[in-house]
Amino acid sequence: MGDPHPKLHATQLTRTFGRAPHQVDALGPLELSVAPGEFVCLVGPSGCGKSTLLRIAAGLLRPTTGTLEIRTRSLRPAAMIFQDYGIYDWKSVRANVRFGLDIQRVPRRTANARADEWLTRMGLADFAHAYPATLSGGMRQRVAIARALAVEPELLLMDEPFAALDAQLRTILQDELLDLTQTLHTTTLFITHSLEEALVLGDRVLVMSARPGRIIAEHRPPFPRPRTGDIRDTPEFTALKGELWELLRKEAVPA
Amino acid sequence: MTTIAPGREESVLIRRPGPHELHPVRTHRRRRALELSLAVAVPLALVLWWQLAATQGWIDPRVYPAPSTIFSDGWTRAAAGDLWPDVWATTKRVLGGYAIGTATGYALGLLMGSLSLVRAALEPLLDALYVVPKLALLPVFLNMFGLGEGPQIALVAATVFFFVWISTMSAVLAIPSGHRDAGRVFGATPWQMFRHVLLPASLPAVLVGARIAAGVAVLVIVASEQIAATNGLGHLIFDSRALFENDVMFVGIVCVAVLGVVFSELVRVAGRLLTPWAPRDRGRGQS
Repeated sequence: MGDPHPKLHATQLTRTFGRAPHQVDALGPLELSVAPGEFVCLVGPSGCGKSTLLRIAAGLLRPTTGTLEIRTRSLRPAAMIFQDYGIYDWKSVRANVRFGLDIQRVPRRTANARADEWLTRMGLADFAHAYPATLSGGMRQRVAIARALAVEPELLLMDEPFAALDAQLRTILQDELLDLTQTLHTTTLFITHSLEEALVLGDRVLVMSARPGRIIAEHRPPFPRPRTGDIRDTPEFTALKGELWELLRKEAVPA
Repeated sequence: MTTIAPGREESVLIRRPGPHELHPVRTHRRRRALELSLAVAVPLALVLWWQLAATQGWIDPRVYPAPSTIFSDGWTRAAAGDLWPDVWATTKRVLGGYAIGTATGYALGLLMGSLSLVRAALEPLLDALYVVPKLALLPVFLNMFGLGEGPQIALVAATVFFFVWISTMSAVLAIPSGHRDAGRVFGATPWQMFRHVLLPASLPAVLVGARIAAGVAVLVIVASEQIAATNGLGHLIFDSRALFENDVMFVGIVCVAVLGVVFSELVRVAGRLLTPWAPRDRGRGQS
């Protein structure tokens, strides 16, 4: 990468789990540079270490060798959105969105105002005092997105956020996220199984190999920004999807 | 390691391997060694402190005999064979009562967990009995079984029964309906359902109850032997206090502690062998 000041820079990053002789190489060695404001999608077969990479970036896990550098102004630059279990059943929707701000000891009045602003933006204003258990899957994931963005993170980490949703809802939430990220320009690492999702959302799509995960291909979807979900219907989109699928199928089959 | 290195306008946060990643074997070994030495050192330090307090006369050694006195006394009693009849009497009662209590508690818990009508019929009654301190039932058992082994075993059985019953029932109720449905769709008979689904699905939680019950069984038998028995460790402890043989009393207490630990460890090991699929409990403290 030509960028002299990448937001995120991984050098010879690897991670193994367990101790010999039951050692499992989960990730790498992996080289990666992400420019500020870039939206990078990672696709790869199950168990290829995508989540491991994300957890290292989030500071939940340390690499076995190598380093991951994050250029930032804060000590906790990242916010993470999980596939499920991310939001708390025992907090109201508004309290969930406010959670990150509460942890950072933002005064209650400011925190509530900021939470409400995000709830309105995500179309959740009417549900501010509801408990997550009463919401649909799509609503719950909107709450998770609002919670992550409410702390205005420098780095947004998304671990298959839409995997548990049905196909229609996925498309809708992809379009919403596309809208949102094109106004915010937050540096994002987005993990998905879906090539379509990666091509719609990403400035760059990285294809990872089966375990231990390495980057085997890199694509920049040639759709200018700001883009909308309509690019799904273009022939270029279908062609690119087919090309990436050929690559991914080889990795997914032997495992 | 996560460190901040000063930059120009921004700084660079670096995620890099920590000691656990750089020297995994060494870190693991050190951690284990530390855990093991703490587990040995803390009790040892307390015993040494007690010894020092007794020899220095900070505490009255007639009331609180030195650990060395207790140990040598226990040794001579064990060598002379005076100790074993009491240990054996207590062990026999615990094992007998535990076997009866576990079997009945498990059977009833399973029945009440699977059949809501049985649950409706018996749950209020058993809930009411559950809160009665079991030691308060000893006089009833004495009336029922007379003196001898009967009331002692009945008391242990009653105590163990409630622990196993309640953990079995809640474990069966907590089995995800998907597990039952899969069995039903395949046409499982009640016995097959029990054998393939209910038994294995409930076993980990049942074993937690069984392990707690193992500790409580020892606790209860010692108390009841103090009240109504002519032998056993509880009787030994109480009797020697009455005779002002405080060192013998402590020998009895140590024997009870050892018996309790050995018994609940046996239940734990048996549980681990019976449920190879369940995640292992990492801390000893977790049941």
